[in-house]
Amino acid sequence: MAALPGERASAGRIPPGLRNLVILLLLWEVVGHFGLVAQGALPSPTAILERLWIDRADYPRHIEATLIGSSLGFLFGNLIGVGAGIVFALSPRMLRLFRGVNVAIFSLPAIAIAPILTLTLTGMEPRVVLATLGVYFVTMTATVVGISQADSRATDMVRAYGGGRVKVLTMVQLRGALPSILSGFRIAAPNAVLGAILAEFGGGGDRWGLGVYLLGSLGQGMPTRLWGIGLVATAIAGLSYLAFALIARRFVGATRAVTLNAAVPGGDATDEPLASRLLFAAGSLALPFCFWWLFIWGTGAPWLIAKTPLGVADYLFFSPASASAQARLLHALGQTLPVTGIGMLVGLAFAFLLAISSRLFPEAVRAFMPVALVTQTMPLVALTPLLVLILGRGTSLTLWVTISVTFFPAFVTLAQGLALVPRSAVELPRAYGAGVWREMRMVTIPASLPYLFAATRLTVPRALLGVMIAEWLATGTGLGNLLNQSRGYLDYGMIWTVAAVAVLVSAACYQIVVLAERRVLRRLGMRTAE
Amino acid sequence: MLRLNRRRFLGSSAAGLVASALPMRSFAAGSSPLRMQASWINDGEFMGYFVAIDKGYYKAEGLDLTYLPGGPDVIPESTIIAGHADLTLTTPDTTIKAIAEQGAPFKIIGTEYQKNPLGVISLASKPIRTPADLVGKTLAVPPVNVISVDAMLKLNHVDPSKVKIVPYAYDPTPLIKGEVDATLDFVTDVPYTIEQQGVKVVSFLLYDYGFTIYNDTVVVTEDVLKSKRKELVAWLRASRKGWNDNFADPKAWPPKFKDTWFKGSGRTVGNEVFLNEAQKPLIETPKGIFSMTEEGIDANLKALADVGIKGTRKMFDTTLLEEI
Repeated sequence: MAALPGERASAGRIPPGLRNLVILLLLWEVVGHFGLVAQGALPSPTAILERLWIDRADYPRHIEATLIGSSLGFLFGNLIGVGAGIVFALSPRMLRLFRGVNVAIFSLPAIAIAPILTLTLTGMEPRVVLATLGVYFVTMTATVVGISQADSRATDMVRAYGGGRVKVLTMVQLRGALPSILSGFRIAAPNAVLGAILAEFGGGGDRWGLGVYLLGSLGQGMPTRLWGIGLVATAIAGLSYLAFALIARRFVGATRAVTLNAAVPGGDATDEPLASRLLFAAGSLALPFCFWWLFIWGTGAPWLIAKTPLGVADYLFFSPASASAQARLLHALGQTLPVTGIGMLVGLAFAFLLAISSRLFPEAVRAFMPVALVTQTMPLVALTPLLVLILGRGTSLTLWVTISVTFFPAFVTLAQGLALVPRSAVELPRAYGAGVWREMRMVTIPASLPYLFAATRLTVPRALLGVMIAEWLATGTGLGNLLNQSRGYLDYGMIWTVAAVAVLVSAACYQIVVLAERRVLRRLGMRTAE
Repeated sequence: MLRLNRRRFLGSSAAGLVASALPMRSFAAGSSPLRMQASWINDGEFMGYFVAIDKGYYKAEGLDLTYLPGGPDVIPESTIIAGHADLTLTTPDTTIKAIAEQGAPFKIIGTEYQKNPLGVISLASKPIRTPADLVGKTLAVPPVNVISVDAMLKLNHVDPSKVKIVPYAYDPTPLIKGEVDATLDFVTDVPYTIEQQGVKVVSFLLYDYGFTIYNDTVVVTEDVLKSKRKELVAWLRASRKGWNDNFADPKAWPPKFKDTWFKGSGRTVGNEVFLNEAQKPLIETPKGIFSMTEEGIDANLKALADVGIKGTRKMFDTTLLEEI
């Protein structure tokens, strides 16, 4: 995560971030205490703490289960991520072959595959798998980036003394990549926690875990407890980030700020014959489907509930129920896609405006950051009842949920981009007497274009996730509801179809953004931001 | 020889490492294993099974029972098709629909609830007492039960399109705050939670308005019925004993499970006692708990047929009950 604007406070003053947090908490306390928001459904911080204290005996085992699930996911995700990263960094061909798999993993909306995991796996497995998936991508890209940025002088040195590929890898590249990998772990740790909790909502025969506790408590009509569980989850995610930030600092002295890398590494293929390029493209497209098959074979789940790609095609096009299935799917897509698009645009626009204002009005933005941070890690299931009371169950709710999940990562990426605009370029128009706005228009905004694209890539899967969660929990429309209802009706064909379609749509949108980005940036003579 | 089986291949060993995550299990040497998937988190709805486990009734029958708790998003039928459990508790409408429309190999071998405890719950200040009162109102329904509500509305000549159905996440807050007019939930349970907050509620059972179906029907796959018939009969016998003990004094058992079965559920003992007393008349039957009479099965089939689910008598197997 990037250093937030104004994070560092000058010595001898109360850090403004802390001061604003205190003001915010006081405001929250007043609002909560007098029940000013949503007919009192927003509890005050003290009431939440009181409830936490009363419930304290419940927590340890739930926290333990969540930690175990996420730690295993963190472990596997990192093992696979680092391993795959090394292979990809050494062999661009493998990287190209696996691009489809990597894009699919990056863009898959967790909510769409959680039901599939609970259907085919048991016990802790769904949480471990979901946490692993959340970790893999971050670590893999961090490894690839780290290795390929190794100092060529050191590489030449080892080569000159007769070192082979393995020596170069162990003595130079892996060491050089360590800071990058460790910063990858930082982002990956909270991902693992959130992935595990999300899978816990899918149940699966275990009574422990914060997600399970949250679901069990929904029926109690106790907003204080829901918020308490949400805050504990948030704290765990935040602490896991901090822990790895400290480890990284201690071992490699690396303080490099890192955001989630939204660029799926692709490998360079410009000097290859067309036939071979086509072959790799086809392989890269086919590989995700092979993994799908392998997964079903590996779980040994029976055909009735585990649908292969062929099974889904059969369900959607050749079975007696296919006409009705197609109609329901198209209807749901018609409801989901427009909202997703609009939510993404508004979220990006909001993030862009805020990133710009963070340069113009740093104080105001700082006050807003703590809220933004909490909305990112707070399980939406805990927030949705509150949001429903405030916003109702219409499109506005879906939009707000979507904006809230897309805006923060987009903002961090953009703010980082704006901070990197060369000072001399900013000062030139200033010297000629241009105002702040004019300078923005002429220099800062065009210069941040690569980061706008990076932010867009990052928000595509999140937007779909946000919309589907809102549909599932509140509005009862679109893909989210279709998925949930299909589970109720034991309509396994539809469950797999929705999951596959959600991943395909998300991956396709990602690819469209990448293509648009390449064209625009090439024309402007700019480079892709990572 | 050690053979890597296909489930292991995907690393289920990872889950096996985690002892604390293993489900509750009553060990007994030389007994036959049986896995049971419940339909909800550990609460009063499953009192009978907890009593039977704690009193060793399954062990006495030679069963090594593994009890798997459910949750809002566990679809019980899926677990028995996937082979994660041998036996599960279901809502008969989804089970019969799956048999009829997807050829799922299920058999219903008993029923916990003679009368489905699902009902429409509303605030006494804005009461909804009959299906007709729902017209123009917003009803929050768990996605699993949309099918049951459609059924009940059609049976009572209410156009389902006139009722606004929204997803229900088992949170009573929207009802208490008036954001929805009614929720579909167990009338044996939610009224307690809401009345604890000082609000009076009214409710009616879907059962009393023509949707005459059982609930928590005991379902197995045809394969398990063949291969584990003896164990299933033993399970029915032990479970019935557990339920009988439980209902002998519905107030007595819930406090005993406070720190075992109910630990960490976030629910109060008072809530479980309320549930246990409220469910007694819906579960008990003169023929013995789990019984399915011909009239009862008929009523189920008729209610489902009215909404286009084509069930048959063959989907029920009452012969195991006779062997108890």
